[in-house]
Amino acid sequence: MIRSTLRRLAQAGLTALAASLLVWAMLPLAPGDPAYRILKSQAPEHEPYPAEIAELRADMGLDRPLPVQYLAWLGRVVQGDLGTSWRTGQPVSDEIARRLPATLSLLGLALVVSVSVALLLALISAAFRDRWPDKIIRAYAQIGAALPTFLFGLLALQYVVVGAGVGKVLSGGALGMALLPALIIGVDRAAGWTQLLRASLIDAMNSGYAHMSRARGSRPWRTLLIHALPNAALPFLTAIGVSVGALLGGSPIIEDLFTWPGLGSYTLSALAARDFPVIQAFVLVSALLYVAASLAIDLAAIAIDPRLREARA
Amino acid sequence: MSATWSRLAAARARPPASTPTRGLLPRLWSHPSGRTGLILGGLLLAFALIGTVWTPHEPNWPDYAVALRAPDTEYLLGTDDTGRDLLSRLMEGAHRSLGAALLVLGGVFAVGLVYGTVSGLAGGWADIVMMRLADVMMSLPGLVLAFAVIGILGPGFLNLLVALIVADWAWYARLARSMAIGSRNRPDVIAARMAGVPGWRIVSSHILPGLALHLGVVASLALGSTVGAISGLSFLGLGVQPPLAEWGAMLSDARLFFSVAPWLLWGPAVMIFLSVLSANLISNGLRDILAVEGRR
Repeated sequence: MIRSTLRRLAQAGLTALAASLLVWAMLPLAPGDPAYRILKSQAPEHEPYPAEIAELRADMGLDRPLPVQYLAWLGRVVQGDLGTSWRTGQPVSDEIARRLPATLSLLGLALVVSVSVALLLALISAAFRDRWPDKIIRAYAQIGAALPTFLFGLLALQYVVVGAGVGKVLSGGALGMALLPALIIGVDRAAGWTQLLRASLIDAMNSGYAHMSRARGSRPWRTLLIHALPNAALPFLTAIGVSVGALLGGSPIIEDLFTWPGLGSYTLSALAARDFPVIQAFVLVSALLYVAASLAIDLAAIAIDPRLREARA
Repeated sequence: MSATWSRLAAARARPPASTPTRGLLPRLWSHPSGRTGLILGGLLLAFALIGTVWTPHEPNWPDYAVALRAPDTEYLLGTDDTGRDLLSRLMEGAHRSLGAALLVLGGVFAVGLVYGTVSGLAGGWADIVMMRLADVMMSLPGLVLAFAVIGILGPGFLNLLVALIVADWAWYARLARSMAIGSRNRPDVIAARMAGVPGWRIVSSHILPGLALHLGVVASLALGSTVGAISGLSFLGLGVQPPLAEWGAMLSDARLFFSVAPWLLWGPAVMIFLSVLSANLISNGLRDILAVEGRR
C-alpha cells in the first residue's frame, strides 16, 4: 500500500512538471513577438519603436535560450509569481488568489451535489429496476445527458431565477450564493453518472457474491448497499475524476452564465484580449487542480480495492 | 431496457469477434434506442442539408420592420432583434453546428489513427517519445487544453475546431497504438509476413482497415459531447463570428431578449438538445451491439 501510494505520488509530480512545460510552451508557440504584443496591448494607438521592443525583450529574457527561459519561468512560478497581466500590468497571482476561492466553492459544491444526486438516484433505480421509479430516473438521466451543462443552466436561470424570482442572478462569489448555481450544475452533471452507476450496480447485483448474499437470506437493500455498492463504486470514482477536469475546463462557460467572479470569468475576459499570462495561469492552476484530484481519486481507489495494490506493487 | 442490459451482458461474455461491424446499420436499426437515434439523426441531417440550399426567409439580412415578432404563420418560429427569421437561421446554422462536430471527430480520428499506428508499429524509442507526448496532452482536461489553444490562436470558428482536435486526439492515438500493437501478432498478419507481403501492404490492407473501423466507432460515441462542447464555446463567442448563424452563438444572442422574446432561446436550445439526444441514443445502441467503450 505504501509503495503503490509513493509510486502514484511520484507519477503525479512528473505529470505536474510536464503540464508546466506545456503551459510555458504556449508563449513561444504563439505567433508574433510577445514584446511587441505587450507594448501594443498597453498602448494600442502607439506603434512601438524597435528600441522599445528590444529593451522589453531583454527585460523579459526573451533573448536567452529556450531551456533557460523555461527554467527561469518555472523558478518564478514555484515561488508563486505568475507574471503580470498584459492588459493591466497587475500581478496575475494576486487576482488568481482573490478569485480561486469563488471557483473552488462553486465547483466543489456542484461536485458534492452531483455525487449525492447520482448516488441516491442510481441506488433507487437499481433497487426498483424496471418499475416506475426506475423508469422516471432513466428518463431524467437520458434528458440530462442530452442537455449540455451550460444549456440546462441557461434555461434554469431564465425560468427558475428570473421567471419565478427564486435566488439571484448576480452572485457575489460567497459560499451561500454558490448553492443555487451548484444545484443547477450538479443536477445536470449527475445524469451521466446515474446511468453509469446504475449499470454497474445492476452488473454487481447479477454477480455470484450478490446471489450468494441473497441466498443466505440478506435483504435486497442490504445486498445492494453492503455488497454491490462498494464493487460498483470503482468506475464511478474514475468518472468523478474525469468530471473534475470537465468542470474545471467548463468553468469559463459556467461562470460566464452565472456571472460568477471566479477564475473562469477572469480567463474569459483574458481570452478576448489574448492576455497570455492570465490564460497561462488558468491552464496551470486547472492542470494542478486536476492532477491533485486524479491523485486523490486514485489513492481512494487503492484504499477501496486491494487488487490495485497488488497489481501496482 | 432489461432486454438491452441482458444483451449487453451477453455481448460482454462473448469473446471479441474479429470484425463485429458487419451489417452494423441493420443491427443498429433493430436496437430500440439505436433506431430512435437514427431516425432523429436523419431528420436533423435533412434539416441541415435543406438549410444549405433553401430557407423560408433570408437568414442573415436584418429587416427591422419585423424585429422581435412572436411566432406566427409567416415567421413560424418568430424573428430576432434585427428581424431575421429564426427558423431560417436555425436551418442555415445547422450545417455549421453539426458539420463542426463531424469535422472535429474526423480530425481526432485521423490524427489519432496515424499517430497511434506509426507509434505502435515503429516501437522502440520513437514509440516511447511519441507516447510520452500523448500522455502529457492527456494530463490536462480537454476543455482546458482547448482554451489554451484558443488563447494561442485567437477566437474563430476554424481555431475552435483545431482547439477541440488538440484537446482530444491523444486519447484516440493511445487507443490506436494499443490496437496496432495487438494486431502485429494476429495470425493473418503473421501469415502475410511469412508469405513475403511487403510491410506497407500488411499495414494498409491487414492492419489499418479493421483498426480504422473500430476507432471510427469509438470516435462516433463522442458525437454528443462534441456537439455540446462546440455549442458551449460558441455560446462564449469563441466560435462562429457574427452575422453567421450557429446554434450556440444564437443562444448567446437570445439571452439579452429573453424577457420579451423567449422563443429565441427555445429554438436553438431544442435543436442542440435533439442533436445530443440523437447522438447519445446511437451511442447507446453501438455500445450495446459492439460492447465498445468510448471516452466518458
